[in-house]
Amino acid sequence: MSPLLSFIIVLIGIYGLVISKNIIKSIVCLNITQTAVILLFLNFGNLSDGNIPIIHDSSINIVDPLPQALMITAIVIGSSITALSLIISIKIFHYYGTLNWEKLLEREG
Amino acid sequence: MNTLIGNMMQVLLIITTIVIIKSKSNIKLVVFFSLFSLIAAILYYLNKSPDVALAEVAIGSAIMPLIFIVSISRQREFVVINHTEDDFLDNKVGTGYNLLMDFTKYYNLKLRIYNIDLNSLKGIFRSRNVDLIVEKSKADGKYVLKGKESTVLINKLEQMIKDIPNIYIIKISEAETYD
Repeated sequence: MSPLLSFIIVLIGIYGLVISKNIIKSIVCLNITQTAVILLFLNFGNLSDGNIPIIHDSSINIVDPLPQALMITAIVIGSSITALSLIISIKIFHYYGTLNWEKLLEREG
Repeated sequence: MNTLIGNMMQVLLIITTIVIIKSKSNIKLVVFFSLFSLIAAILYYLNKSPDVALAEVAIGSAIMPLIFIVSISRQREFVVINHTEDDFLDNKVGTGYNLLMDFTKYYNLKLRIYNIDLNSLKGIFRSRNVDLIVEKSKADGKYVLKGKESTVLINKLEQMIKDIPNIYIIKISEAETYD
């Protein structure tokens, strides 16, 4: 069921990106989509009869630890991208006086 | 047992996502995003990756709502630095205060006036985001408002003070500094 769950959450996140009028909500929707992708990758590395990847006995079988290492990097990079986009949103608010996409396009043109 | 908790958490994750999409207030959005990260961390653990769950709990549900709340509270400020020595920007008396109050109410901003000398600022305070500087010109006794050239807010302020005789605006382009 978990690839289906990731698919549903990616769809909801993209729907939120399309309909949201607030920049803060758009940034949150980007984060939601990223979480769904991370969940998908972890589910691909998962085995139903595997153990968590801590080796204390070489005879047991463990799940693949490579996607987990990559996804930790993805979480950290996502948090820094969030911080950068919030700084840019503060700059936009001080220039145009609003955070609404429609009013921004009005005042720009 | 594990599959029961997993199915419940998957349904909860979808419900939380829909609540985030539907919510109107910014603070509510951030709190529900923190809840979303906690539920996602449980799902990471059930997918046999406790290290990613640990990182998600620390970063996704603690640090990211913190920077969201700090930036939401910071972006509503309109920072004004006062260089005049008379009562032009005094509370409820000065004409400049009433003018800036009307202006910030129009844009739903919060007016912050600081009575500090710019030369005494050092370090991190010097690089702080200042929107407007108010000075009294020594040559003709008029009041000077200094602001950035490219902002829409300054253009609106220029329209507002067109009728008032003893105030004018100097626009500074991005590359120059204020002082």
